[in-house]
Amino acid sequence: MQTAIQTENLDKAFTGGVVAVAGLDLEVPRGAIYGLIGRNGAGKTTTLRLLMGLLRPDRGTARILGADFWEAPRETRQRVAYVSQRQQLPGWMTLTELCRYVGHFYEGWDQAHARELAERWELAWDRPVAQLSAGQQRQAAVLAALAGRPEVLLLDEPAAGLDPIARRSLLTSLVESATHGTGCTILFSTHLINDLERVADHVGIMDRGRLTMAGRLEDLLQATQRVQVVFDDPAPPPEFVIPGAVRTQVSGPVMTAIVRLANEAQLEPIRAWRGVRVNVFPLSLEEAFIELYRPRDEGEAVAEAAVEQERAEALARSGATESAASRATPSLN
Amino acid sequence: MLHFQIDTHSGVPVYRQMMDQVKYYVAAGALKAGDQLPSIRELAQTLAVNPTTVVKAYTELEHEGCLEMRHGKGAFVTAAAVGMSSRDREKALRRLARQLAIEAGQMAASLGQVLRLVQEEVEAVQGERAEPELPVRLSVVSRK
Repeated sequence: MQTAIQTENLDKAFTGGVVAVAGLDLEVPRGAIYGLIGRNGAGKTTTLRLLMGLLRPDRGTARILGADFWEAPRETRQRVAYVSQRQQLPGWMTLTELCRYVGHFYEGWDQAHARELAERWELAWDRPVAQLSAGQQRQAAVLAALAGRPEVLLLDEPAAGLDPIARRSLLTSLVESATHGTGCTILFSTHLINDLERVADHVGIMDRGRLTMAGRLEDLLQATQRVQVVFDDPAPPPEFVIPGAVRTQVSGPVMTAIVRLANEAQLEPIRAWRGVRVNVFPLSLEEAFIELYRPRDEGEAVAEAAVEQERAEALARSGATESAASRATPSLN
Repeated sequence: MLHFQIDTHSGVPVYRQMMDQVKYYVAAGALKAGDQLPSIRELAQTLAVNPTTVVKAYTELEHEGCLEMRHGKGAFVTAAAVGMSSRDREKALRRLARQLAIEAGQMAASLGQVLRLVQEEVEAVQGERAEPELPVRLSVVSRK
């Protein structure tokens, strides 16, 4: 698989010692629609700016189409378009003038596509950009990027501030550019995880300057599930632990956990337990993200420490627990 | 054009939702053997979903024998799909029944109570319906 965008061991800190990106290894295959998510300050914007050569890395490399954009020639630059988070469009220009101006930078400029998008998004051609609403200015910036028919498109929160209809229309246009001609590789950051789940095929989750999870969306969804265990007894036995559980909650006879699931076999030991029913529910990407990254409250932290301790003790007695599990006959499952 | 509805809050993979809805339309008679489905590009753009998701849904449906992909022409509903839809209906119903069983179990409801409620609801829905084509309206089309 060819790579369109790649960073290796990328580091960037700002004055005052704020570390924005730390040891980032990002790989975007050609033709992918890659969504980058993470909490505010996770390093998404800095990553995009480093890729575009707007910032110089402290260490490591950042390449688009094999080129380091700090020094890439114009021929390479015109194959890539970027819409930043706070797009500064020249406010006095009309959309007509903006397209004429930006069109000079792109060999593949597609004026018909620009017109089509302006019509679809109901953008005025002859009004100064500064007079457009914030959302429309955003659309104008995306329009200028898409009409260049780039091979690679970087978008920093493209849908921020758009109403639901404009947002859906933007997504449609992204899908359209991904399927147009030889296809366009799209890397975009967003907080709108449900939108991402629709259009993306790859996802990277950033946390404190690095990718904590990355890969095909489908694999990521498969890897995180909600597992619920219902006990016939009024409460789970103290040594009971769900393998791979990230967060565990117990309420009466019901134990629920967010589980990192490597494969189905991982749950076999608890399915074999006597007097339990095990249910596995899929999580949406948004739920999975929130469950994995929200800060734990105090009660949870205490409960988890207790579970951890139980797990450690259970491991110490692992001979006993294992034989208990193997003695048990699979019940309702 | 058929209406597909994608719910990204449900946790059900998008391609799976699309597959369920194609089957639902076959079961409901809105799609017949030989009918052509929208092209991958067209459907991806209309729904604003990733094209590979549509490819995945179509490929899985082809694998199951519901669709036939004719090279350069598109995807068509097979004759076998119509026969299969009754089994899928059963499967889809079973999934919903299982969900009900789990939740009823959590609320410690009795079997008698569950059965009574199901019967009442089925009768109520049938009473509301003008044309009794399908005995029970399947909600395989994703919930809002």
